Amino acid sequence: MPKRDITIAMVGAGGDGIVTMGDVLSQAAARDGLNVLKTEAYGPQIRGGESSCVVRLSADPIYESGDGVDALIVFSWADFSRFKGECTPAKNAVVLSDEADPVARTPEDLGLGADAVWIKLPFGKLSTDSGAKGSKNLVGLGVLTALFDLPVDTLRRAVVSRFGRKKAAVGESALKAFEAGFLLGQTLPPMPERRLGFTPGPAKLIMSGNEATAIGALHAGCRYFAGYPITPSTEILMFLDEWLPKMGGSLSQTEDELSAIGAVLGASFAGEKAMTATSGPGLSLMTEMLGLASMAELPCVIVNVQRGGPSTGLPTASEQSDLFQAVYGGHGDAPRVVMAPSDVEDCFHTTVDAFNIAEEYQIPVIVLSDQLVAQRRETFDPASLVHAVRERRLPSPEELTDYHRYRETPDGVSPMARPGIKGGIYQTNGLEHDEKGSPGSGFLLHEKMNAKRYRKLRPIRDAYTFHRRYGPQDADIGILCWGSSKGVVREAVQRANARGQKVAAFVPQMIYPFPKKELEAFLKSVKHILVVELSYAAQFYKYLRTFVDLPAERTHVYKRSGGKHLTVAEVDAEIVALLAAERVSEKVSA
Amino acid sequence: MNEAATLPEFKPADYKTDLKPVWCAGCGDFGVLTGLYRALTELQVKPWETVVVSGIGCSSRLPGYVDTFGVNSLHGRALPLAAGVKVVRPDLTVIAVGGDGDGLAIGGNHFMHAARRNLDVTYLIMDNEIYGLTKGQAAPTTPTGDKTKSTHYGNPEPAVDPCELAISFGATWVGRAFSGDLKGTVELMVKALSHKGFAFLNVMSPCVTWRGDDLFKTLKAKQRQLPENHDASSRAAALIYTRETEFMTTGVLYDVSEPTLLDRLAAVKVTALAGKPQPTVADIISSFQPSF
Repeated sequence: MPKRDITIAMVGAGGDGIVTMGDVLSQAAARDGLNVLKTEAYGPQIRGGESSCVVRLSADPIYESGDGVDALIVFSWADFSRFKGECTPAKNAVVLSDEADPVARTPEDLGLGADAVWIKLPFGKLSTDSGAKGSKNLVGLGVLTALFDLPVDTLRRAVVSRFGRKKAAVGESALKAFEAGFLLGQTLPPMPERRLGFTPGPAKLIMSGNEATAIGALHAGCRYFAGYPITPSTEILMFLDEWLPKMGGSLSQTEDELSAIGAVLGASFAGEKAMTATSGPGLSLMTEMLGLASMAELPCVIVNVQRGGPSTGLPTASEQSDLFQAVYGGHGDAPRVVMAPSDVEDCFHTTVDAFNIAEEYQIPVIVLSDQLVAQRRETFDPASLVHAVRERRLPSPEELTDYHRYRETPDGVSPMARPGIKGGIYQTNGLEHDEKGSPGSGFLLHEKMNAKRYRKLRPIRDAYTFHRRYGPQDADIGILCWGSSKGVVREAVQRANARGQKVAAFVPQMIYPFPKKELEAFLKSVKHILVVELSYAAQFYKYLRTFVDLPAERTHVYKRSGGKHLTVAEVDAEIVALLAAERVSEKVSA
Repeated sequence: MNEAATLPEFKPADYKTDLKPVWCAGCGDFGVLTGLYRALTELQVKPWETVVVSGIGCSSRLPGYVDTFGVNSLHGRALPLAAGVKVVRPDLTVIAVGGDGDGLAIGGNHFMHAARRNLDVTYLIMDNEIYGLTKGQAAPTTPTGDKTKSTHYGNPEPAVDPCELAISFGATWVGRAFSGDLKGTVELMVKALSHKGFAFLNVMSPCVTWRGDDLFKTLKAKQRQLPENHDASSRAAALIYTRETEFMTTGVLYDVSEPTLLDRLAAVKVTALAGKPQPTVADIISSFQPSF
């Protein structure tokens, strides 16, 4: 019986076209309606150097990169060794390597079992013979297509579309290399049980989290972006640099992150929906201005794509350790909103919500994305990108007759004039100020205005309880996680329930103000609590404890540093161990 | 002819808020504020179409006293905010103001880049050669050897000339004024506000509290006008009147016409569209759906 889900890893040197190979494969799969999840990894070199790409294809919904690599194609073992732990083949994997590779590897080196298949092929030679030099990647793709019964016609079109865009001849030559590989693949012993079986469906969207974030911003009406390049958020800046001017908007690449958020606040003051995007070190710099946005009640969206920290840390790796900085960072009592997308599609919706909240409540909103969701590519249904857009409240003509920028209101939101509105003139500042905006340092005023600013969080908490719950209602284990951990946890939950174990999960996308009631209900419905996060200091666990009591006797924390993506196997092992321990303790008490 | 129609719409008082300045009696910043009221009146700038942005410091309290839209932002950050305002609202008159510490120390990086970009704003520094709000510490403009609250044994550092910096950073209009010379200050403010591009006006604005009572007198004695034949289009000629010790030359040191940031951003939009209609977000989304 064919498989419905396969994971293919590709590894090579710079120039081997690993990234292109993964792109063509995932584009073709998305075209035929398969679910695709693609991650890439590179060496530290600026240009060239080793690269790897893992593409998971499935006829069923998938939420993470896949635990085991079913097919590994390696053009250079020397480069493979740099991705230790990232492209580990499954015990029964199919391994394809170049027979001309001077570096030798054994099945034992790779931990392969008896049912693994290893085929050495003349990738380099075939590429040269096909007339398209340097097309090992396409030869390899052809072999994979034949071996795993991938949709060959769609792949042919994907190759031509990718290479023939500018010159038809280049497309034809690329296709020849692909066909050479495909022919070779057909001569290999067939492996029917390893083939991918699926029925093609309508084309899906395929994009990265950073792209989805940028598109979400445009959809929300953002027409100004200011930013400073920083990995792994830079794609947002580059994407908007291409599209904002076409949409009538503008982008500023500023001299630093202080200036980026400053310009965003200036644009917001002037009446425009504005955003910046950065990563941990940049958010550190932006923190002073976050306080001003909170104090002066200036709407703005700050996307923080987390990477390993502190300091320069691990710029290209994911971690969930900016939680405290996002929620608590800065001096003074500065209300802000923090949201966390948990997959690529979420990046779109979270960003639109972030703008809606920022504009409606005149408050800074941080979108805590992370390297994993930001840079991986995922497929989803085009129809899902629908999201209502909300606008800033401008003063009415009556309100303009005696305009008070920070007028006390039941929900704390005061109508916000913009320059050009005749009766709406006001001067704002980072000093404590009265309802008119005039500076004042009295205790009573400070208390009153703090209360006004914090009051805005209440309606936000009531209206935005964005979270997800997976698994049965009365579970033995309830997992708490956030952000990109969701994919892995969701699959671990499925796996456990398929085994007959009752495991559920609660994943908040709204981080602050926290959906406390929803969490309390979840905690009541589960026996044991398992917190899963990529933060050495267990920031999420500590943060949750500020809202709910997590009794030590029924709470277990699985946390570690980032730098390597969380895997289903890790979470699964925790589930198994926790359930085993529970059985032991039940026996003891009996 | 209706006589009322010929009267100017705005008087200096129309630019004044009810707030009483926090400045010490005799502070040079009063002259700057009065000068600004008059310059705005002369240009008949609509208050609701004007934004005054500042950083932090004594002089950065100024937006609160001008009845236009205003932001008293963070220390050193007036120019980033001004940039954001102007880029999204080219229709507005945007004025950034602040002190020498604000603009040259903590905000120095922004000064360089706003000038380099030829951002279409007017930037006024009220230069008192000291940190006044924190009670008398040395600033980047404090002369070498001067004793202040943070240089008890004499300032060990050389001072900068803000006009020299502005010229080398790429500002397209650079002037120096003296707040004790109100008429000259107003004239220069009007010129700065009328300039297309980044206009930088350094107004010598003495601090009577931390720099001594007689600074007005000293500066007045040092003040001289630029010679009639000064070539303001020449960078070299302008730089002659920087780092002065004996004199304090006021006037338009440098004035050239170059494409502004807004000009360039407008051109970017045209290039980006390449004559095609503006795309919708749906167009962008569909480009992510493989269609081969």
